[in-house]
Amino acid sequence: MPRSKVYVSSAGFTKIGDQWGKSLLDLAVEAARGALKGTSKVKPQQIFVGNMFSAMGARQEHLGALLASALGLAGVPSVKVESACSSGGSAFNIAYSLVRSGVLDSALVVGVEKMRDLEPEEVSLALAMAESAEYTQFVGASFAALNGLLARYYMEQLDVSREDLSAIPVIDHANAVMAGHAQFRKAITSDVVSRSGMVADPLRLFDCAPVGDGAAAVLLVNDKTASRSKRKMAEVLGGRIVTNEFSFYEREDMLDFNATREAFVGAMAQAGLSPQKLSFAEIHDAFSVVGALALEAMGFSRRGCGSKDAKEGKYSEGSDLPINTFGGLKARGHPVGATGVYQVAEAYLQLTDQAGKNQVEDADFGITHSIGGVDTTSVVHVFGKAS
Amino acid sequence: MHLMKSSRPSAILGYGAYIPFYRLLTSEIARVWKRGGSGPNLEKTVASMDEDTVTMAIEASSHAMKMAGIAELGAVFVGTESKPYAVKPTSTMVAQALGQHHTLAADLEFACKAGTEAIQVITGLVGSGMIEAGLAIGMDTAQGRPGDDLEYSAASGGAAYVIGRSGKDAVALIDCSTSFVSDTAEYWRRAHEKYPRHLSRFTGEPAYFSHIETSVKTLFKETGYKPSDFAHAVFHQPNPRFPVEVASRLGFSMEQIKTGLLNPMIGNTYAGNSLIGLAAVLDEAKPGDKILLASFGSGAGSDAFCIEVLDGIKRTRGINPTVISMLKRNLKIDYAIYSKFRDKLEK
Amino acid sequence: MAVQYWRIKDRYYRLIGSKCRECGAEFFPPVYRCRRCGSGGIEDKEMPKKGEIMTYTQLHQPLPGFEAQAPFYLAVVKLDNGARVLSQVVDSHEESVRTGARVRATVRRAKVDGDSGQIFYGYKFVVEN
Repeated sequence: MPRSKVYVSSAGFTKIGDQWGKSLLDLAVEAARGALKGTSKVKPQQIFVGNMFSAMGARQEHLGALLASALGLAGVPSVKVESACSSGGSAFNIAYSLVRSGVLDSALVVGVEKMRDLEPEEVSLALAMAESAEYTQFVGASFAALNGLLARYYMEQLDVSREDLSAIPVIDHANAVMAGHAQFRKAITSDVVSRSGMVADPLRLFDCAPVGDGAAAVLLVNDKTASRSKRKMAEVLGGRIVTNEFSFYEREDMLDFNATREAFVGAMAQAGLSPQKLSFAEIHDAFSVVGALALEAMGFSRRGCGSKDAKEGKYSEGSDLPINTFGGLKARGHPVGATGVYQVAEAYLQLTDQAGKNQVEDADFGITHSIGGVDTTSVVHVFGKAS
Repeated sequence: MHLMKSSRPSAILGYGAYIPFYRLLTSEIARVWKRGGSGPNLEKTVASMDEDTVTMAIEASSHAMKMAGIAELGAVFVGTESKPYAVKPTSTMVAQALGQHHTLAADLEFACKAGTEAIQVITGLVGSGMIEAGLAIGMDTAQGRPGDDLEYSAASGGAAYVIGRSGKDAVALIDCSTSFVSDTAEYWRRAHEKYPRHLSRFTGEPAYFSHIETSVKTLFKETGYKPSDFAHAVFHQPNPRFPVEVASRLGFSMEQIKTGLLNPMIGNTYAGNSLIGLAAVLDEAKPGDKILLASFGSGAGSDAFCIEVLDGIKRTRGINPTVISMLKRNLKIDYAIYSKFRDKLEK
Repeated sequence: MAVQYWRIKDRYYRLIGSKCRECGAEFFPPVYRCRRCGSGGIEDKEMPKKGEIMTYTQLHQPLPGFEAQAPFYLAVVKLDNGARVLSQVVDSHEESVRTGARVRATVRRAKVDGDSGQIFYGYKFVVEN
């Protein structure tokens, strides 16, 4: 089957945080316009909106048509894609697949989430909908509780200390200081993490990604369309979505993020790339323990060493594989359905030398990794510089 | 002829008590309301905020069914004055939890004697041959009005009894019983009220003593039994003093009542009261022991039973937690937590 | 919620899960296909009521409806038949809630729909001691 090359030709995104004055649609339009700016020759042939809980958060569904119409693109096919916190990643993957396979010449992917309009316990309920209504929500287990169970298991079974666990949030905060769109731009110490308020023992406030509003958008084009432009682009070299046994505690080995491993291996194989070639990785650290287990599943750290390696500086700025170059989920932020697209936008900035003070030197290849649930849906994409 | 004796011999096939985890010292109640001292009982049992008569009844019944070792119940009766629903029977939820559907199910109310009434009704259904076996439960999460004297004793708990045809595995025979009632309002709760109301001194002679003494004396007269025929006696125990007094008046010794006398540590579990006392006695009784059980329910009435322990009691040891072991497994809480648990705080 | 609860009330009251007719594996919550051998030959089976804690957490930021109980313990309990259940652990001395602790199931009020709505009962666990 003939395959097109696929490029991310532009990106637009809003600052992440308490956007009281902007609605869900306001944010989506702002990000989309950012991505469409300067690309007037390209009208996206399809629009994909990644979002997790517009129904509960804004009493709004039908986001595809809503956004298309708002952008003056009524007529363009447009749909919402949902896979919990990986909604943005999944929306991107579907768009990528359709452009790659030649069905589309171009696609606009917008991830958007409005979380702050809800009270904290309502946000908790919205996020808990990633898990079983009848057997997880019903027993009072929030999404943070599930990750708390995972974190204790990780620490007890693999001898990981509280101090180890704090390492990845520290890296995130350090990287976000110079990131204009990041929600939190203050560096922190390991102690700050270890002593922050308890959420779901052993997970503390600073182990957990914050609640915030935001939208990010990217425009995908194929080589035919790309050749008409002089813009710098990033090439999408591979991408996979993998689903896992739904409830993490039912898995044979709770500490093996096998969906992430399969998505990573599959995407890298599609890209024909070996892991050593990667210059950076945008990983899904909704909770410190999740970041650690993702790094282990992808083979960058040995089992039990994800956090420990981070503590030793293995993933910091300037290292061989810097992670979360703009702050990751903890510091850049995690407007859930949008995060997967923020990651793509950030990879695009890195590979087109537009990352400013966050620029990774000689960035050639990078990955984005997005999770829904507890490694229940895992989405990995591989990017490179456009040749 | 005022004696109730079933046509076919009916017996307890299994029993199980339930006492919640939490305890409130009455000195804590006195600290809040009277700046010191304590109540007539030392402490009382407190159900947690996620417990109610349904959950406790299910727990006690599961134990009773395990001991009885039978598969089917023809009736499930729950005696209580703290139904979670005014309309929706506690008994159907208990039946569902036990997997029983082809069963008569109903809730009974007669203050503290609703549990012994359930025993009478089930005994009748079994004894008449209408059913093979049934479940009688007395259970309450008694609500004490804050600051009221009865708050010292209003407690949570109760017990369940599987009653069926007497046989070689039966635990104790329900030999006979009698019931005595009158319209005597010393304690009541109007339909939409949260807490009961009561008179004070009137609750003694005209209510508790008169009805228990009458039912027990009627039993003695009809059967020819004397106090000395009984190894154990269990009386309704709203406080530590009344059962000791009525036992003495009826000719029973402290020795005979001590095993079933747990009010100082439990308080008054209302419909569960005398049923827990009976369970405590059964935990230690020997084959051949006769037990006198006399309940009292406000409104008012008393049921008196003669229960005879059978050989089957020997096989019951170790199957379920004993009343004493449940009493020992506890956590003391303060008045604030108790208020939160028992929904006494207005939001 | 009332109908959703009614439909699976036996699962909540009696921990009725699944058993694979092919390989005998047992699961709770129930499954459509056996997780071990992939067979679709699944039947209802009541789970044993005892097990041990695999891991636990104490939740301080509860979901709506659970505020009064917070903070409370949640655990992954491995039942004696190998099935794993996610549930609260209640009414146990603090020091006794530990990985490896033996626990037993009990029925409690899981959720309540205000003062006039229905009460939904479900399983919780208590440490055996």
